[in-house]
Amino acid sequence: MTNSMEKLAAGDRIELRFPARGDLIVLARLVTSAISARAGFDIEELEDLRLAVGELCLLTLQGHDARYGDLCLQLNVLGDAIAVECTLERAAPADGTRPDEDESARLSEQILDALVDEHGRESQDGSVRAWLSKRRGGHAE
Amino acid sequence: MTVGRESNPGPEFDAGAENPPLDPAEREELITSNLGLAHQLARRFLHRGEPLDDLVQVASVALVKSVDRFDPGRGVDFAAFATRTIIGELKRHFRDKGWAVRASRRVQELYLELGHATATLVQQLGRAPTVAELAEATGASEEAVIEAIEAGQGYRAASIDANESEDDPLSARLGEYDNNYDSVEDRVLLGPALATLPPREQSILRMRFVDGLTQSEIAVAVGVSQMHVSRLLSSSLQKLREGIGRNETERSS
Repeated sequence: MTNSMEKLAAGDRIELRFPARGDLIVLARLVTSAISARAGFDIEELEDLRLAVGELCLLTLQGHDARYGDLCLQLNVLGDAIAVECTLERAAPADGTRPDEDESARLSEQILDALVDEHGRESQDGSVRAWLSKRRGGHAE
Repeated sequence: MTVGRESNPGPEFDAGAENPPLDPAEREELITSNLGLAHQLARRFLHRGEPLDDLVQVASVALVKSVDRFDPGRGVDFAAFATRTIIGELKRHFRDKGWAVRASRRVQELYLELGHATATLVQQLGRAPTVAELAEATGASEEAVIEAIEAGQGYRAASIDANESEDDPLSARLGEYDNNYDSVEDRVLLGPALATLPPREQSILRMRFVDGLTQSEIAVAVGVSQMHVSRLLSSSLQKLREGIGRNETERSS
C-alpha cells in the first residue's frame, strides 16, 4: 500500500531561507527533491533539478563572503515546469576573488546548460539573483 | 549585470548509432583537451563517499563515449554535449552502485530496490518513472522513496553483489592488493569514537581525510576561516585518540 503525497499545482510557491553557507546547500537540494516529486517530475528530471539547484546556489554565492547573508530559494510550480530563483541577501562582497572562482562559475553555468531549459544570473545593489526553469516531459499524468 | 541564457537542449545521451570515427589524432586531441572538464565534473560529485579517482575514471570513460558519439552536424557545442553525457554517467554510477551507510537498513534496502524497480519501469514505460510509480512498484510510501533517493546521495559501502557496469567490473579490481585492508582494524576502533563527534566535526574530518580537500577548501565549504578549520581538526583528532583509547580498554577488559 502506498501513501500518496499531496500534489502541487500550477501557482503553488515554496520559499526556503537559510544562512548563506556552502554546507547548507544540501537543504536547498532536499527541498527541491520534495517539491519536484510533488510537481510530477520523473526521477531523472528530479535528479537533474537537485544538481542544478546546487549549482544555482553556488553561483549565487560566487564572489561573496559566505559567512554573512541569507540564501533565499523560491520554487514556483508552473503548468508543466518549475522555476527556481535563488537570491543572496544581506551579503558582503568577499575581500578578494579566489583564483578558481571564474572557472568554477563557468563550470556551474555549463552544468546548468546541460540540465535545465533556461537559467540566468544578475547582480544589483549588492544582492545577487540566479534563476532557472525546467520543463516536465516524457510522461503522462 | 544580467546574464541569461536558454540552454541548448542537446542530443540524447545514448541516441542511436555512433558517428563515423574521427581521425585518430583528432580524436585524441578532443579527449585530451577535455580531460580537465571530466575531472572538474567528477569533483562536483565528491562528498558522497566515492573516491575521486573512481569518479574521474567514470567521467573519463564518459568523455571518450561522448567523443565517439558526438555529431558535429547537429550544431551542438562539444563541451555542452560532453557535459551532459558525463553528468548522466556519474548519476548512473551513483544510482547503480551507491547506497547510504548512514541511512537505516530499511532505507538502504529500499534504495537498492529502487535501482531494480527503476530499471524495470524504464523498460516497461519507455521513460523514467515518477516517484509515485516507484512507490507503487516497491510498496513504499512516496515520502520513503524520496528519503531513499536522498540517502542514496550519501556514503556508500561497496557490495560484492552490487550491479557492476561493463566499464568498471568488480572482477577488474579483484586480485589487486587492497590498501584498505590495513585500515579495517583502525576503522573498527575509530567508528564508535567518530560517532561521538558533533556532525560538523565528522564532516570536516571526512572532507580532509576521505575527500582529500585542503584546509582552505574546507574553510570555503563550511564557511569558516582556515585557522578555525585547523583548530577543529586538531581538537577532533585529539578526541578521536582519547575515544580509541577508551574503546581499546573496554575491548581488552
